[in-house]
Amino acid sequence: MTGRKNISHVKDPSFKPMMRSLALELMIYGPLVTIYFLVVFAFAKDLLVRMYHEILVVYSVVALLMIVAQGVLLEALTSWLLRKIGLRH
Amino acid sequence: MEFPISGVVINPFILALTGFFVGVLGGFFGVGGGFLAGPLMFWAGVPINFVVGTDLAHMTGKSIVSARTHRALGHVDLRLAGLMIIGTIPGVELGAQLIERLKAVGNIEEVVGISYVVILIAIGIFTAWESVRALRSKHMDRLDVQEVVGVKSLIHRSRLLRIPPFIRLPVSGVEEVSTWAIILVGLVTGVLAGFLGVGGGFLRMPLMVYVLGIPTHVAVGTDLFEIIISAGFGTITHALKGNVDVLIALTMHTGAAIGAQIGANATRYFSGPAIRMLFSFLPIVAAILVLLRLGI
Repeated sequence: MTGRKNISHVKDPSFKPMMRSLALELMIYGPLVTIYFLVVFAFAKDLLVRMYHEILVVYSVVALLMIVAQGVLLEALTSWLLRKIGLRH
Repeated sequence: MEFPISGVVINPFILALTGFFVGVLGGFFGVGGGFLAGPLMFWAGVPINFVVGTDLAHMTGKSIVSARTHRALGHVDLRLAGLMIIGTIPGVELGAQLIERLKAVGNIEEVVGISYVVILIAIGIFTAWESVRALRSKHMDRLDVQEVVGVKSLIHRSRLLRIPPFIRLPVSGVEEVSTWAIILVGLVTGVLAGFLGVGGGFLRMPLMVYVLGIPTHVAVGTDLFEIIISAGFGTITHALKGNVDVLIALTMHTGAAIGAQIGANATRYFSGPAIRMLFSFLPIVAAILVLLRLGI
């Protein structure tokens, strides 16, 4: 037998504080993501090209890790920074 | 800017903007957005052999960002996602085998393309019809109902599948459902994804809502979690064939990561039927893009 609880998944947030929090987060996260890309492009570009041509298996793993890092580590860093400056608890 | 892995010169702002646009859609609707990102990347100048693999790479990162945001909002059902993956993986293989069989018949692109268009249009029309009905009933009853599924019969039908073992999905608010029903949904979407050569997010999300009775917000978040696994796997397999330019993927992800955050957060301000109604336009746009590619 299957049943569903009567649940509401849409919160009733106060729009302005939520938007402020999101804007602050993006103001930190956006530049971090861009800096990460520029650093990779400036310092790891040649290494990545060499790996691509010489050791494709390593390149494949590194490529996935770099993408995951851009998503996970930078978001974690953003959260940490927001907590550090007292904008998130 | 020159991208030495694929050997092309592309304006990075176009790539980041493409990523941003697809990121917003992905975060909001729980889709990978490959049907849109692919043609846009090709238009921007990414070589065709790099389009699919690089798109999968950026899709992985974008889905991680969206899924993390949805998880924080309580919109990811890990138990459901894990069970669906059990069905999805053999399903993708079955779909790919079906393609191999059809290759012997010939004119495979047209068969797949037309099947794709028919499925997309059917999903688009059904979702639009159902969500408008759900929105109307919500307004007529003046109830504070955020999760109205306009068509209940499909959910009831899946409940007829009473083969044990049963499972409880507390995150989705489902008290008991046959594990086989979940695996079957995963299998069906996997077969279609393997047959059509797509990620399958636009198939999985409505099936989760209409067949399993999962709330739209949880279906979106859970679908994104599944995309992380499938797109991550796809990234590795394409990268091993030399079809991933990680520098292009990282460029796209600078925009996609921001877009994904905005899209995922925006779901807080829309009810389930409203998300489904907006979603119904996506398959229609995808169908038009496929028809244009087929030259019909």
